[in-house]
Amino acid sequence: MIINMALFFYRKFKKYLMRAIWTGAIGFGLVNIPVKLYSASDQSDLDLDMLDKKDHAHIKFQRVNEITRKVIPWNNIVKAYKYRGKYIILNDKDFEQASPKRSKFIEITNFILEKEVDSVYFETPYFLEPEKSGMKAYALLREALKKSEKAGIGSFVLRNKEHLCILRPYQNAIVLNRLRFAEELRDPVELTLPKENTKSSEMKMALSLIDQLTTKFDIKKFKDTYRAELLKLIKAKAKGKSIKQPSLKVTHRKTNDLMSQLKASLKKAS
Amino acid sequence: MQKKIKTTDETEAVKTKNKKQDDNHTLIVNGHRLKLTNQNKIYWPEEKITKGQVLKFYDSISKYLLPHLKDRPQSLKRNPNGITDKGFYHKDAGDAAPNWVKHIELYSDSAKKDINYIVCNNKATLLYLNNLGCIEINPWNSRVKSLDHPDYLVMDIDPSDNNSFEEVIDTALVIKEILDSAQALAFCKTSGATGLHIYVPMGATYDYDQVRSFAEIIAHLTQEQLPGTTTIERSLSKRNNRIYIDYLQNRRGQTLSSVYSLRPVPGATVSTPLLWKEVKSGLHPSQFTLYNVPGRLDKLGDLFAGVRKEKINLRRALKNLKA
Repeated sequence: MIINMALFFYRKFKKYLMRAIWTGAIGFGLVNIPVKLYSASDQSDLDLDMLDKKDHAHIKFQRVNEITRKVIPWNNIVKAYKYRGKYIILNDKDFEQASPKRSKFIEITNFILEKEVDSVYFETPYFLEPEKSGMKAYALLREALKKSEKAGIGSFVLRNKEHLCILRPYQNAIVLNRLRFAEELRDPVELTLPKENTKSSEMKMALSLIDQLTTKFDIKKFKDTYRAELLKLIKAKAKGKSIKQPSLKVTHRKTNDLMSQLKASLKKAS
Repeated sequence: MQKKIKTTDETEAVKTKNKKQDDNHTLIVNGHRLKLTNQNKIYWPEEKITKGQVLKFYDSISKYLLPHLKDRPQSLKRNPNGITDKGFYHKDAGDAAPNWVKHIELYSDSAKKDINYIVCNNKATLLYLNNLGCIEINPWNSRVKSLDHPDYLVMDIDPSDNNSFEEVIDTALVIKEILDSAQALAFCKTSGATGLHIYVPMGATYDYDQVRSFAEIIAHLTQEQLPGTTTIERSLSKRNNRIYIDYLQNRRGQTLSSVYSLRPVPGATVSTPLLWKEVKSGLHPSQFTLYNVPGRLDKLGDLFAGVRKEKINLRRALKNLKA
């Protein structure tokens, strides 16, 4: 009984417990701060499952051969890269050879002024939590970053991939953001954009308009209303009238085949 | 009791002014001499309707009927001995017809020869056909200039002897619902016999295969919604007393009784176009006969005009159905 209660409470609060996804140390110069890495963000959308409309059974995804339509187990699946029209198959040995040295360090290479990094490069945020032995050093680094208004630039290896990162203070923590490599960012040169071409009177008006709408930034002002509405609807459905069983308006395969054939015929004709 | 039906101005020099017509006489119609025979022959033994009355009927409604027959090859269904006789089909009637009767020669794969089809483009030809014993009129779904492209899609709701007309109505309403969801225009008429016909205007834009495919899809969808009362089984033995949703009439050379066509069945009923609001419980084909249809037409006009003038976008209709 007690175990059941414990499990109950555990499950209730499970979603608030963070799990460390990486263990290592911040390193720069002779400094070494053992830390754990936690995901700092969570999706705000509702977790929906896909069910069969007829009997509400779960939809399973399977890996099938495109030609034979047979289900293929993982051990018979290989990864390949299309190089100059031909597929080059890669195996585990190849991946190992190319992968960087397994590193347990967030190697900080230099410090920069925070405002030098355009937010366009920012990716997912992670929290860094110090181990017991690193508490003092962690706090010192955090305060120093705050005072100097600087951020640390470094790299670390996560899941066999090397990432560029930036370390900044955030409330009581040091937050790590993965950074995009320059080559990952597309060039807006492909877009049709206007050159600078404004009259000073227009500029004055634009600036005044922006000024009128200027406020202090408070992110808490913004809510995910769609999620809230959806949840409201789900709760209403759950307690209110029972969800009507879908009427058996199932289109049989033959009808679908006929429709596809006719669609193709009409396409050909046009 | 003979009802006097007004003839139109087009018909010139009527030989008799008295009620009882000569059995054989000649009319001048559209400037042509038309020899009429056996006008007093009884076609409907119960109702005592004569051959002459059939011609009078078609004369009176010809202005509604002729636009629907224009430029279409005709498959003649001839009942020269009235409705008690099964009658016979006659396609190759062009050869025997007077030279002013329009015709078209088309090669038939099945008969392995050219067939001379009559094309009914004026009242004189219509009356000529009636005089041959054509009580009902059977035009092709396509016209001579676009023989492989039907002007409309036809759904023939064909009941077995054990189905009620209420069930036929239900079937028509389901088909209408499906066509509405496809946003396709639909027109309904009584077959004049036991069923209902639904026409969807196609504007001679698509070929018979495409139109028939769409009709097949509609038929399948309908049958799925009414599995107990309808069937799409072609073979009679497998239909099990259910209504046959016939989509196979959408083939080159196949014909349905034309709109406004009289039928060689008891009651002298006519294939009459209906307003959809009339298609409900209580409707019955016996309500539309040789006697009252001309009056109805003068009141309501040609409810089937849209079948000739409109057309749907088949790709869009298909897309709407799939959604």
